[in-house]
Amino acid sequence: MLFDRIFRRNQMTCGEVMEVLQAYLDGEVDADQARRIAAHLDRCAACDNEASVFGRIKVSLSTRQRSVDPQILDALTSYSQRLAQGEEV
Amino acid sequence: MPELDVLYRTAWSLTRSDAEAQDLVQETLLRAYRAIERFDGRYPRAWLLTIMRNANINRARKKRPDLLDDPDATFERSIDFAETEGPETVLLDGEFDATVETGFNNLPDKFREVVELVDLNGLSYAETADLLDVPVGTVMSRLHRARKRIRDHIEEVGLDAMSGGF
Repeated sequence: MLFDRIFRRNQMTCGEVMEVLQAYLDGEVDADQARRIAAHLDRCAACDNEASVFGRIKVSLSTRQRSVDPQILDALTSYSQRLAQGEEV
Repeated sequence: MPELDVLYRTAWSLTRSDAEAQDLVQETLLRAYRAIERFDGRYPRAWLLTIMRNANINRARKKRPDLLDDPDATFERSIDFAETEGPETVLLDGEFDATVETGFNNLPDKFREVVELVDLNGLSYAETADLLDVPVGTVMSRLHRARKRIRDHIEEVGLDAMSGGF
């Protein structure tokens, strides 16, 4: 019984998880908090569903990353090299 | 320089123009080389992004002196992402991605900017906060609200985000 109460005291509520869910998905929480969030998601289908939806949105957004025009990158690399060599730019 | 592409994409998020983004990266690099003696060698990307932030504020002030007293307004942009020809390669994967894209395009500028920097450019919360000159809590709040709006848009069009709904 005591262990049960201690264990529950360490559990996060749904509200607490929702407050940090985005940071969790972005890898912006510490390892201990990440474990506690993951434990909550394991036992709470509603929050797990929220995490899945926002995770899917995040993945979808990340596919929109721009590929930089190689000519622009070449020009910037060249500019950077001229600076490093002390040339006037 | 391995971070050049990150710098360019970030500059593009701030300026929404190929030419201006290229100018901003060049100005950032020039300032960095001039200040290299004062750099302690730690966190080079954060250092470069801070220089970019200052360079961008300076550029905005030159173009719009009336923005001088409102640093937050420096990042206001009226150009709609969807109407702008960017260097991007958009990879769409079905109706879900198309709906997310629409939701993203409909975001207010400040929200869309944070999503771009974090989700598309891979910047950390701290880097984004520093770049935009706002507290980390503001980044978190804007990000949360932005993703929530996208999620609401998905529901509005009747897609089931879990099953794909199509």
